[in-house]
Amino acid sequence: MQINSDKIEFLVGNAEVLEKSAETPVLPMFSEQMKSFLSDLSRELFADPRSKGYKDVLSYAYWIRSSSLQQAESRHNDVDMRLGRGLALHIAPSNVPVNFAVSMTSSALAGNISVVRLSSKQFVQADIICSAMERLLTSSHTALRTYFCIIRYPHDPEITGWLSSMCDIRIIWGGDRTINEVRALPLPTRAIEMTFADRFSAAVINSDEYLVQDSKKVAEGFYTDTYYTDQNACSSPRFVIWTGNSVPEARERFWEALAELVDRDYDMQPLQAVDKYTAVCAAGMSMDGIKLISSGNRIVRAELERLTPDVMKFKTGGGLFFEYTASSLEEIVPILTKQCQTLSLLGISVKDVKELVFRNGVRGCDRIVPLGQTMGLEFIWDGFRMIETMTRYMYYDK
Amino acid sequence: MIDDFYAYSPYELDAAAKSRLLTGELKRLTAFHREHSPEYAGFLRTVGYDEDKVEKASDIPFFPVRMFKEFDLISIDRSEVFKTLTSSGTTGQSVSKIFLDKQTALSQQKVMARILGDFWGKKRIPLLVIDTPAVLRDRKMFTARGAAVLGLSVIARDTVYVLNDDMSLNTDRLREFLEKYGSQPFTVFGFTFMVWQHFYKELLKTDERFDLSQAFLMTGGGWKKLVDSAVSHSEFKRCITETTGITHFLDHYGMAEQTGCIYAECECGHLHASIYSDVFIRDPEDFSLCPNGTKGIIQVVSALPGSYPGHSLLTEDEGIILGEDDCPCGRKGKYIEILGRMKSAEIRGCSDTYADKFR
Repeated sequence: MQINSDKIEFLVGNAEVLEKSAETPVLPMFSEQMKSFLSDLSRELFADPRSKGYKDVLSYAYWIRSSSLQQAESRHNDVDMRLGRGLALHIAPSNVPVNFAVSMTSSALAGNISVVRLSSKQFVQADIICSAMERLLTSSHTALRTYFCIIRYPHDPEITGWLSSMCDIRIIWGGDRTINEVRALPLPTRAIEMTFADRFSAAVINSDEYLVQDSKKVAEGFYTDTYYTDQNACSSPRFVIWTGNSVPEARERFWEALAELVDRDYDMQPLQAVDKYTAVCAAGMSMDGIKLISSGNRIVRAELERLTPDVMKFKTGGGLFFEYTASSLEEIVPILTKQCQTLSLLGISVKDVKELVFRNGVRGCDRIVPLGQTMGLEFIWDGFRMIETMTRYMYYDK
Repeated sequence: MIDDFYAYSPYELDAAAKSRLLTGELKRLTAFHREHSPEYAGFLRTVGYDEDKVEKASDIPFFPVRMFKEFDLISIDRSEVFKTLTSSGTTGQSVSKIFLDKQTALSQQKVMARILGDFWGKKRIPLLVIDTPAVLRDRKMFTARGAAVLGLSVIARDTVYVLNDDMSLNTDRLREFLEKYGSQPFTVFGFTFMVWQHFYKELLKTDERFDLSQAFLMTGGGWKKLVDSAVSHSEFKRCITETTGITHFLDHYGMAEQTGCIYAECECGHLHASIYSDVFIRDPEDFSLCPNGTKGIIQVVSALPGSYPGHSLLTEDEGIILGEDDCPCGRKGKYIEILGRMKSAEIRGCSDTYADKFR
């Protein structure tokens, strides 16, 4: 089948790369060419003055620098048994600007040809990364020209269907609706699919431990976890759960320190104030035990009498937090549902949380990180070891 | 009760007198709806409402207007529902559902009649509607457009719809109407965009000249669509005058959730709050009250909603209070300017967030 490539805008690559992708040989996992390309991309991004304004572009550049890739590779002991599966089609999310690059980097290191459909929402971050890639692929890395296409096209099941019909891995980032829509389009029988659905996350803070920390530093970390992406990343905490013996004091200090940053740095739209207020009210109209406790609209906080994942139906971005005081860690079990992604901790032992998850056999919590580091880039996401999952494991008798 | 208000004319009371009348009624409505709507009671619990602390109308909690799109909010027995009003949401958007009992529907009409009577006299005058009769065909379930037309037709002498079902202009009917009533005061009513698109533009296409110089043109429904097609308020008026001879304009601000309590435009171009309702402007930072002259989010309160908890609403519109009790037109109460719907934030949104469902 031939597609009308007029409808497709190529930010990296071209129609020919797409059409010939079936004949493009896959590469071994962590191939030298790919590592060299990515580390050059890292340098290219650091050198671009436009990157300075974007923390996320810089952390992506840092993440793909040579030594970091080396480190990632050293964590695998079966690299020589793995190679790419073929064409990896990525349907990128519209909430986190550099996620497409994380997804693409994983499939490239796995040895695949990566085709990324960017969301129609325009991000400067995507432009910075795509233009740097295009520069490298047309100069020092022409040999990898056939391994990348980054495209944009208006919502069109025909194009997505055509791409799906020839891919070997389909990676879908998005809300339930997007995922279901794309899923309706058939894949070749041998193809695999990875979905990264909308999730929620929670922060768990031990009040006594918090009080001995630098509140300003903690606030900065938490700001990056939340307001930096309008609290719309799946990993952005929406629940804030307090434990320990100094909860009232810790809470007061925590929100005050955060407010200072939010007042200074966050550009809140008037409609966001209404959205957050509406969300809390709607939650309170649907279930008992919810109290609006904040007075300003930049940080909106609702106190829960009972910790329940049901309030996540009402989550909205821009700084809306559901707070709960727990007398023991055990109390967080009800929110560890399939939709729960990241738990970020302060003063809570990782081991305790890990054991809680295993002991209770809950379906959620794929990731435990320190508070302030939910935005960290990792090759393990939503319960997948990304690179391995995108490879073909070739068994042979050693 | 609402009957207490009928002792006064719509713009008679100054700030202090109006506040006394309105605050008491709003408090009563809040208590009533708390008792009869479990969802509304949940809302009051969530925001921590304390009746003892209410001193003025602005102390009544403001209920997000979007709630009428998501919940069936009703404070009467279902068997008492006389009419269900829906907002005329554009295609694809969810619509508000407003449940009216006979009493509420009646007071909506009565109040609208009193407000309009203040502008064009108490005499019932002929009404030319720039719409199709289809807006009223299903009386059990109709839109704000239909409600406005119905409200007006009750106080009009003879109602003529000038558009066909396919929205084309029926010039025969227009000619007939003008032959009969053209030489005396009459009202032309339509939503701004429809007046522009289906009346004014069609008139431009005909060679026939229609004289509507005796008419009051009452419009509503916002300017957004016209602003999108680059037609300003004053441009609209100039064009209409040139083509139809109309010089009396009466725009208004209102919403399905508070039908009846319209904010009508006076001779000075100001939209006035009547004694039946009031406007507060809230600061998006913390919802505190903005001083007059400062832009913010519009809250509207109304004494009319008896069958549904719509007596104090936080809208999604922005506006400014221009002044109070001192408009040169002589009407007491606040007069305002509407700046339009708040811009949907350019935030990095997940596709399935709660708020998106209503955009």
